[in-house]
Amino acid sequence: MDFNWTKKDLLSLYDLSREEIVHILDTAEEFKKVSQRNVKKVPALRGKTVVNLFVEPSTRTRLSFELAEKRLSADVINVQADASSLRKGESLLDTVKNIRALQVDIVVMRHSAAGAPNFLSRELADCSIVNAGDGAHSHPTQALLDLFTMREKKGRIEGLNVAIIGDILHSRVARSNIWGLLKLGANVTISGPATLVPKEFEKIGVRVCRNLKDAVKDADVINLLRIQHERQRTEYFPGTGEYAKFYGINPDSMKYISPETLIMHPGPINRGVELDSAIADGPQSVILEQVTNGLAVRMAVLFLVAGALK
Amino acid sequence: MMEEPEMQLVMTDEQVHEAIEKVAYAVYAEFFEGKTEAEYAPVALLGIQTSGIPLSRRIAKFIREKTGYDVPIGTLDISMYRDDIGVRKVLPPIRETNIPFDIEGGVVILTDAILQSGRTIRAALDAVTDFGRPAMIRLATMIDRGLREFPIRADYVGAHIEVPAEKRLTTRWTEYNQPDGVYAVPKVKQ
Repeated sequence: MDFNWTKKDLLSLYDLSREEIVHILDTAEEFKKVSQRNVKKVPALRGKTVVNLFVEPSTRTRLSFELAEKRLSADVINVQADASSLRKGESLLDTVKNIRALQVDIVVMRHSAAGAPNFLSRELADCSIVNAGDGAHSHPTQALLDLFTMREKKGRIEGLNVAIIGDILHSRVARSNIWGLLKLGANVTISGPATLVPKEFEKIGVRVCRNLKDAVKDADVINLLRIQHERQRTEYFPGTGEYAKFYGINPDSMKYISPETLIMHPGPINRGVELDSAIADGPQSVILEQVTNGLAVRMAVLFLVAGALK
Repeated sequence: MMEEPEMQLVMTDEQVHEAIEKVAYAVYAEFFEGKTEAEYAPVALLGIQTSGIPLSRRIAKFIREKTGYDVPIGTLDISMYRDDIGVRKVLPPIRETNIPFDIEGGVVILTDAILQSGRTIRAALDAVTDFGRPAMIRLATMIDRGLREFPIRADYVGAHIEVPAEKRLTTRWTEYNQPDGVYAVPKVKQ
């Protein structure tokens, strides 16, 4: 069926309908093919200017967005917090005013404060905003590339059992995945130390499991989250050794995981903590395919928001 | 497909068949008639999404019936090559591009049901050449309705139809479970 995309921004999967999410995934399928061609570039965003405003460090997401923009023929400007006026104390609003004065078409933003892209979206009516991760709130393109990979590998999302393991409390990847998966009809289980996996998550319709084995034994997909040292200002668990013992995916836990189960990870991996090194590089791992698909999904998102009339 | 208001029939199924036969015959005459399979040029049909696809299949069917030879068929979506992204009110969804033949050095016959402004064909030429360097690109269209905005013309035309500029032409196909036909409908501003 035909579906018309009308949103100028991508802020969170929470704001999107099931149809909108499926439309992005369908669009991304065609963009994936562009990167497999000899000429890996289309003129879709020719003449458009994209600013990558990364107020929080990022390597892979920024690289993926920048490549997506270049493959769409956009003009790209990168602003990184540590080398910009933001370090001199410029407020976000002043940054916004400057962006507006430069007639930029799309801003891709990463920020440590939840809601920063929403603020930008309200202030910049004639510019598209794409959230590349805001605090512990949302990371929509990561969740979309996870959904894309699951759908590509398993043929569907509806009815899939997806286990998300790790620091759910601080994870924007987990939140975005949960919203997207629930909208598309998957069964979501979350697991990890009690301090990082609050029981309150049951209220939004996910199963909370304290025991890793119960969480993963029927899973079609296991999505592992990175233990985020930089977000843990207080101690949530005794140490990475203990975390690896109880929640790490290793040869012992693989004994009760089906050989059909996909192992996913948004990267970067703490090898030997949440995921054993051999399994990360093993046949069930789709971690590098996630990276490839991220490019396609980001091309689709940029194309769609650019196409929405401002 | 939904029924649209004020649909006015401009080509019956019989007229559609005549027009397609005229186009198909012209392609056949240029590349296949009087030749053996060994002498055929590397011709392929490339249907532009969406209405160019049934046209490409029917041309291929005509050639198969005449020669027993299956001309390779592909599909081309031009959404990523449009010149009105962010200007149009709504962006049409991207559909499949599938080119299952090598276009390098070949003859690519683009097919589209209706030729009007020429903008779709301009985009299609850019798209095709991103896949390789064909020796020749030709254009087959079932209907040329005039109103050209770009200096583009078709090599094979089924019918010339004059319809007022404020009307849009839309096609129906048995492939999509509707009787073949061409209708004029009031233009919705895009």
